[in-house]
Amino acid sequence: MAHLHIENLQVGYGNKLILKNINLAVEQGEMIALLGPSGCGKTTLLNALCGFIPVSQGDIFVANRAISKRPAEKRNITMVFQSYALWPHMTVAQNIGYGLKVQKMKHADITTRVTELLKIVKLEGLENDRVTALSGGQRQRVALARALAIRPDVLVLDEPLSNLDAKVRLSVRHEIKALQKQLGFTSLIVTHDQEEALVMADRIAVLNHGTIEQIGTPEDIYHRPKTPFVADFMGADNHLTWPIQNAAITLNINPTITQAEIYFRSENALVSTRPPATNVDVNPSNMGLLIEGPVEQSVFFGNNYQISVRCGTHTIQANHDQHLPEHTPVLLRVPTDALHIFATEAGNSAPQHSLSPLSNQ
Amino acid sequence: MIHSPIHLLTKRFNKRYFQANFWLQCLFILLLALVLFGPILNLLIWTIAERWYFPHALPTQWGLKYWHQVFNPYSDVSGSLFNSVFIAVLTVIVCLLVSVPAGYALSKQTLPLRVFWMLLFLLPQAFPNLTVYINIARIFYDFGLNGTFLGVIIVHSVHGLMFSIWISVAAFSTTDPMLERASRNLGAGPFYTFFHIVLPQAAPGIIASAIFVFLESLDEFTGTFFVGSPNISTLPLLLYTASMEGNYQIASITALILLVPSVLFMVIITKFMRPDMLSKLGK
Repeated sequence: MAHLHIENLQVGYGNKLILKNINLAVEQGEMIALLGPSGCGKTTLLNALCGFIPVSQGDIFVANRAISKRPAEKRNITMVFQSYALWPHMTVAQNIGYGLKVQKMKHADITTRVTELLKIVKLEGLENDRVTALSGGQRQRVALARALAIRPDVLVLDEPLSNLDAKVRLSVRHEIKALQKQLGFTSLIVTHDQEEALVMADRIAVLNHGTIEQIGTPEDIYHRPKTPFVADFMGADNHLTWPIQNAAITLNINPTITQAEIYFRSENALVSTRPPATNVDVNPSNMGLLIEGPVEQSVFFGNNYQISVRCGTHTIQANHDQHLPEHTPVLLRVPTDALHIFATEAGNSAPQHSLSPLSNQ
Repeated sequence: MIHSPIHLLTKRFNKRYFQANFWLQCLFILLLALVLFGPILNLLIWTIAERWYFPHALPTQWGLKYWHQVFNPYSDVSGSLFNSVFIAVLTVIVCLLVSVPAGYALSKQTLPLRVFWMLLFLLPQAFPNLTVYINIARIFYDFGLNGTFLGVIIVHSVHGLMFSIWISVAAFSTTDPMLERASRNLGAGPFYTFFHIVLPQAAPGIIASAIFVFLESLDEFTGTFFVGSPNISTLPLLLYTASMEGNYQIASITALILLVPSVLFMVIITKFMRPDMLSKLGK
């Protein structure tokens, strides 16, 4: 059995179910990201794990012990709060040592452990500072040190980086990841930022409407989304509902499909400018999705230009390395392996599994 | 610069307007000061007057005779002062014992009948004081509480609870529930969390409420009069008797003694009453 094991977990307020049938197994030393839009229940899952809200059904096991009926203080799962929740009336050292003081550890031992943790989170010399005098990044580290001090079975982080500014966020992100590798703690991190999840997690669980849509390695989730929601959430910003009655859009894939939802990333749409009169060749090198149309908008994005191509009622986003003037006719090609196709017809030989149309979006 | 006649005229007018404005403001400030401090000045003069008859604008004989009389260890004043402080301190303790747990419970929005409980503590203030205390005195007769310290402390506590509960609720409402969660998370039980995390956060508000209760108890007259007298004499009762007997010197000195803690504590309270807490009053 995995170190942390969640079985058929259900959490609800009154008649409203927030989490439905959550199954998750986290191995010792693994970091899992819970990724999803706001309101999908990811923070509720953390609160249920920590014992802040009751579980209506199912069980949580940590190291083979069922803990879902225990009060928060008896779970040995610690949280790094989104707002840090540091105690303003205590110093940095008192904050970090609190959990040890509760355990009635000897004063000298607490000091040793706190010094050790301050070194780990690179805050040496700040032990006697008030937490209110610290910067956001420093508070974050104190919160992390405080949560790690009692050597929890599982560490959970609730959007730990959302209150930091962009530059600090990147460095803290790497520090947390490095610490996790170095100390080997088992952790769950909640985030709505797909990049954060990809960078930090060993595996990602994508949540939507209180259920886990897909669990897998970052590569899996990114390249092989199992549902339209995951594809959309992981940055596939173009969406087409096949079939389309438009001669300018052709789909050359093998085997052919009749009805499907098609997702792809703008960076995978290869742009080529060509004379509008030429016909599109249908040959093996031209497999995939082909779209013709005029450029509607071209926006500078730093390393490239985001180009909107108008094609009938559809607007397709693509990336291009140079600016294209409006109305330039272009051809977009999306290779087969960059297309996420979700067949909407049962029994169809689609590359991905079947599902009911549109209901999950 | 143009020195046209019109320009000079407006300039002079502006200057005159400004001067008029200035003197008007001075007058208002003076009037305000007179209204505010006039009676207190009169009171101060009385404390050091040994002889002061009607036609004279100022005392005919000055001296500290009455101060010696008041601070004589066997005088009524020292006894009353002791009673007042003793009752006030015990009232504060009783109020805190009730309002700290009650305030914490009432600060949780999930508590059933929350508004009802809050209003319940406000209820004694809704009726005219006199009727409430006369009835309390009548009921206390049956329990033999009239003329006892316990009776007076109960009456003062009922009055003080309104302040302490409402302020405590506001103080506990400003504490961040995440701070509690963080403590539980690290292995601390609910009681440990309350005393180490929640209470220190709410402490400024609780201290402010204690000061309010203390001052209210120190100044309380009606309840003490009906329940405590004649056995128990506090400073306000002594003040009343002294004034009735025409002994303005004793009355003024007593009033001055009562003024000292009020002014002192009001200064302290302004430090503890933070705006974020005041915004939670009654919520």
